[in-house]
Amino acid sequence: MTLENILLNGMAVITTGLIVGAIFSLVAAGVTIMYGTIWFPNASNGQFFMLAALLMWSLVVNWGLSPFLGAVVVIVGSIPFSLVLEKFLVRPFYNVPNRNIVYFIMTLGLAQIFAGAFTGTYGRWSDQFSLPAAWPGAILLGPFPFPRTRLLVLVIALTLLAGLFVFLRLHRVGRALRAVFQNREAAILRGVDVRRIYRFSFVLAMLVITMGGVLFAMAYGFDLTMAWTMAIIGFAIMIVGGPGSVLGSVVIGMIFGFTQAVVSLFASPTLAAFSYLVVMLIILLVKPSGLFAR
Amino acid sequence: MLLQEMRKTALQVFFVLLTIGAFAFLAPSPAAAQPKGEPIKIGWIAELSGTWSFFGATGLTAAQIAEEEINAKGGVLGRPLQVVPMDNRTDPAQAASAARMLDTQHKVLTFSGPTSSDTALAVYGYAEQNQVPFVVPVAAFPRLTRPGTQWTFRVEPDAVGWGYAIVKFVEKMKPGASIALIYSDFALQRAIVAGIKYQAERSGIKIATDIIFPQNATDATVQAAQVKSKNPDFVFVSGGGAFDVTLTNQILDLGIKPEQIIHPFGAVKMILGWGQRSVGSYYGTFFDHSLGGLNDYGKGLISKFTKRAGYIPAYIENFCYATVYLIKEALEKAGTADRTKFRDAMRNINTKEVTTGIPMVFDKNGARKEYMYFLQMKEVGKDTYQSKEAFYIEWDPEVIPVYQLAP
Repeated sequence: MTLENILLNGMAVITTGLIVGAIFSLVAAGVTIMYGTIWFPNASNGQFFMLAALLMWSLVVNWGLSPFLGAVVVIVGSIPFSLVLEKFLVRPFYNVPNRNIVYFIMTLGLAQIFAGAFTGTYGRWSDQFSLPAAWPGAILLGPFPFPRTRLLVLVIALTLLAGLFVFLRLHRVGRALRAVFQNREAAILRGVDVRRIYRFSFVLAMLVITMGGVLFAMAYGFDLTMAWTMAIIGFAIMIVGGPGSVLGSVVIGMIFGFTQAVVSLFASPTLAAFSYLVVMLIILLVKPSGLFAR
Repeated sequence: MLLQEMRKTALQVFFVLLTIGAFAFLAPSPAAAQPKGEPIKIGWIAELSGTWSFFGATGLTAAQIAEEEINAKGGVLGRPLQVVPMDNRTDPAQAASAARMLDTQHKVLTFSGPTSSDTALAVYGYAEQNQVPFVVPVAAFPRLTRPGTQWTFRVEPDAVGWGYAIVKFVEKMKPGASIALIYSDFALQRAIVAGIKYQAERSGIKIATDIIFPQNATDATVQAAQVKSKNPDFVFVSGGGAFDVTLTNQILDLGIKPEQIIHPFGAVKMILGWGQRSVGSYYGTFFDHSLGGLNDYGKGLISKFTKRAGYIPAYIENFCYATVYLIKEALEKAGTADRTKFRDAMRNINTKEVTTGIPMVFDKNGARKEYMYFLQMKEVGKDTYQSKEAFYIEWDPEVIPVYQLAP
């Protein structure tokens, strides 16, 4: 293999690992915030991810909006949507014992409803959805032509993850949210309005999942099967990273992304698809409570 | 005064026109006697929900256009022809259950409709066991017409044969060329690749690399780089679902030229998804609005379907439309809606596809004499595209050992 080909393949692995890892991390961060704070195991997170991607497609392809404007509309629109969901589907169960089971069953049902609705509408219009490039063209990284849109997606995703991390560490609300993660009763004693934090975490988590869906739609073609794939990956990353740990989601998301890229280069894409499950098993065997569990 | 005269004349003209219009509307059409009696039913078992709902729904729309046209021209054997749709939910178990219901409760003459090989195989099992004719419009899996098949007829050429046709096309473009294979792990793609590998050896075409993706793959950058490293003359690209567009884009991103890319098949949404940057690349098909030589039925299907569905039809819709006409013709030859006589008429039919005039003949196993077009993309817009015929081939279904090669 020539040096040029080694560079070409090496850059392909690095960029793929970063993009896939960053999007995985975003979705898993949303899942883990929801679960860590509200004790809400959201089985419909993949459908919310899909909803964001499909709305993005409608706005850009059918309505002719630019991908940037479409992204803003979908992301901003997710806030009132999340508030309505929180009011009618999440809040009524805050005082129910073992509400995580109620939430899980309820969101499983919700996932089925969304899946049926998508199949009956979008599924009849097309079997595949893709957006025009937000930033056409490519830049050369050595011999490797890196499409600008994917570079943009990568930069946005990494910035969002960094912003989320900083917010949770340094901002007053972020610290309150983490306090609820760690010890609900102690947070109440310290004067944290837990109900407000619950509502805020739900909206924040939905926002992060929506951003994941929007970025995915900008970087890749997608179809309706992606919802279940993303739901499973989101949960797997949360469990391995440690439920409630955003840092865990980011680290494990990246490990999953790079594992897939490296295994697909040296073995095959088929083995790569299962590789992250092997990584998951190994980590859980070493640390059953998750890598960054408190 | 003049104004009054004008108004009077205008009123007279209006009433005359109204009277003529009313007569035209009420008078029976001399060309089409209305079909009477019990309808002859086609049990249309389609993917109306689930993963393949787009294909099931689009195929049903085309079949219903044929049904309406036939009934408007007097039906068949003086009776109306009825397409009875039933959802198989893209699930083989559900497809078998739908077949049972259509057989025992609706007493259909024949089954048809599946656009997926998995659901078609489930219906095949029921049809062969219970002696119900089954005309498969769009499912390319060779096992649907394996030796010993008695009641099933496949309108779409088999997928292993597509592989044969692809190699013949490459051979014509550049004898001794090399081709990289990059595709998703679906039964359809595996069957096509089996045909490519078999024929490549015999045609002196080299396989540069063979990369299979799992069904839920999302990214192909690493593999696109691998393909680029091998520097092949052509690249066979076939992803499943939306991954097909991602795969195509990422291959192009890495510097493979559109003229090097061959897609085994091109449905409308796929071609639109490949987009303007794929102009120059090739795809296999069996019907395309860009083809010259379409007859009035072909043109009529395109205009009616586009009006109804909002997008142009391609080979999937054409096969569903043509299948309903094929059933009509076999019924006329049989002279009765008896299942066995209909099956025998199908076996002996020697006709032409209603939209294209391409021969429609079935071998002893129900496999159709095969053919394939390869088109080169010339222009892609938001809702439509233009392509140009680059290659056409016809072959006997068993020119290569399809039933041994099929995975």
